[in-house]
Amino acid sequence: MNPRVTEFLDEFRETVAECRRFCYAARAREFQAESITTLDTLESDIAALKAEMVELRDEDAANCLLSLSLAARALSYELNMWVALKDDSAALAWDCLVEAQTCASDAVCAHRISDHLEQYVDRLEILEGLLFPPITFMSAGMVIQESHCSICGCEYGDCDHAKGEVYMGEMCTRVITKAALQGASIVPEPANKHARMVGISDGDGMRDLLTWRLIPPADDEGSATGG
Amino acid sequence: MNVQEEGFVDVVQRARDLGCRVPTGLALLPRNFESAGSKDELLHESEAPTVRILWRRAGLVETPIEPEGERFPQISEKSFDEWVAPTIFVSGALMSQNPAVLSVALGVISNYLTECLKGIPMRSREAKLDVVVQVGKGQYRRLHYKGPVEGLQELPAIAREVGWNEPEGD
Repeated sequence: MNPRVTEFLDEFRETVAECRRFCYAARAREFQAESITTLDTLESDIAALKAEMVELRDEDAANCLLSLSLAARALSYELNMWVALKDDSAALAWDCLVEAQTCASDAVCAHRISDHLEQYVDRLEILEGLLFPPITFMSAGMVIQESHCSICGCEYGDCDHAKGEVYMGEMCTRVITKAALQGASIVPEPANKHARMVGISDGDGMRDLLTWRLIPPADDEGSATGG
Repeated sequence: MNVQEEGFVDVVQRARDLGCRVPTGLALLPRNFESAGSKDELLHESEAPTVRILWRRAGLVETPIEPEGERFPQISEKSFDEWVAPTIFVSGALMSQNPAVLSVALGVISNYLTECLKGIPMRSREAKLDVVVQVGKGQYRRLHYKGPVEGLQELPAIAREVGWNEPEGD
């Protein structure tokens, strides 16, 4: 490993350990908010060092730093989730949890430095079940007609970059540019947990499925919440 | 054992009927290869391009059924309880010339999945994959696998057991 990255790892681990102390419901909101700011700074430092490693064409170091960046972001999203729950913003808290899960998973895939985060992925899964009610997920089915590689821009499949793999500090994704929507269906395990049923109508009106509060009808179109 | 076996259409005849190229070695078959009314209806699984990347990098030569210069669209269903692979076809001729080909073809997929799925919860690390092998002249069978990624390694032995080693020059 590049000595600059090895040296930075000590700072990273120390900062992350300090911030993880506040990843509990009982910890005070102000410390959680402060930790989010600390992690934002850490991410900026990682980005600067990663740019240096990319300049040096040190792929292992760049991939390692991508993984560290994703790990820091996962932790930041978890803290944002706790803050949002305290602010009574259940939908935002859910979105933060989903982002934390995504970042943690990507961190594990990005580089072996984050192999130990498999336990953190499990922790986030447990939090999902404990903090949120059962959620009905939706999935869009589509026929992909055109897509390209996020690394080189070629038609996906024509180059040698495979999605989910990491190249010089960037994770390859398949960017879908033309597709025909086939329909939506309810699925137990969606690829995108942001796609969820948000409300349900009962005799009193439309209820938010996370908070169970009644959702105020839209001002101009009362029928919009009719189910 | 997570493998089920069933009959499959005559791949060569079906490819001809649809106006596709006849696969002579290793190939990917569209999801609706058996049922499509015409070539224009054929749809690959969304992971077909990824498998082609992996095979190309491993030096495996595919004999695609798509007519030269054509691409089949891919169907994507964004559920994540399993990784759905495209159907893999291995001709009898290739199985007799190179019995290890299926092990290599599945091995690179398995290695890729092991890396890419290690960040998701264990219960979601499953794969679904079909292999179509020739069992006689004009006769084919499909092996359907659904289970943990590491179980993919069971398939080549089963394929060799049921598969037909086409005599050379036949």
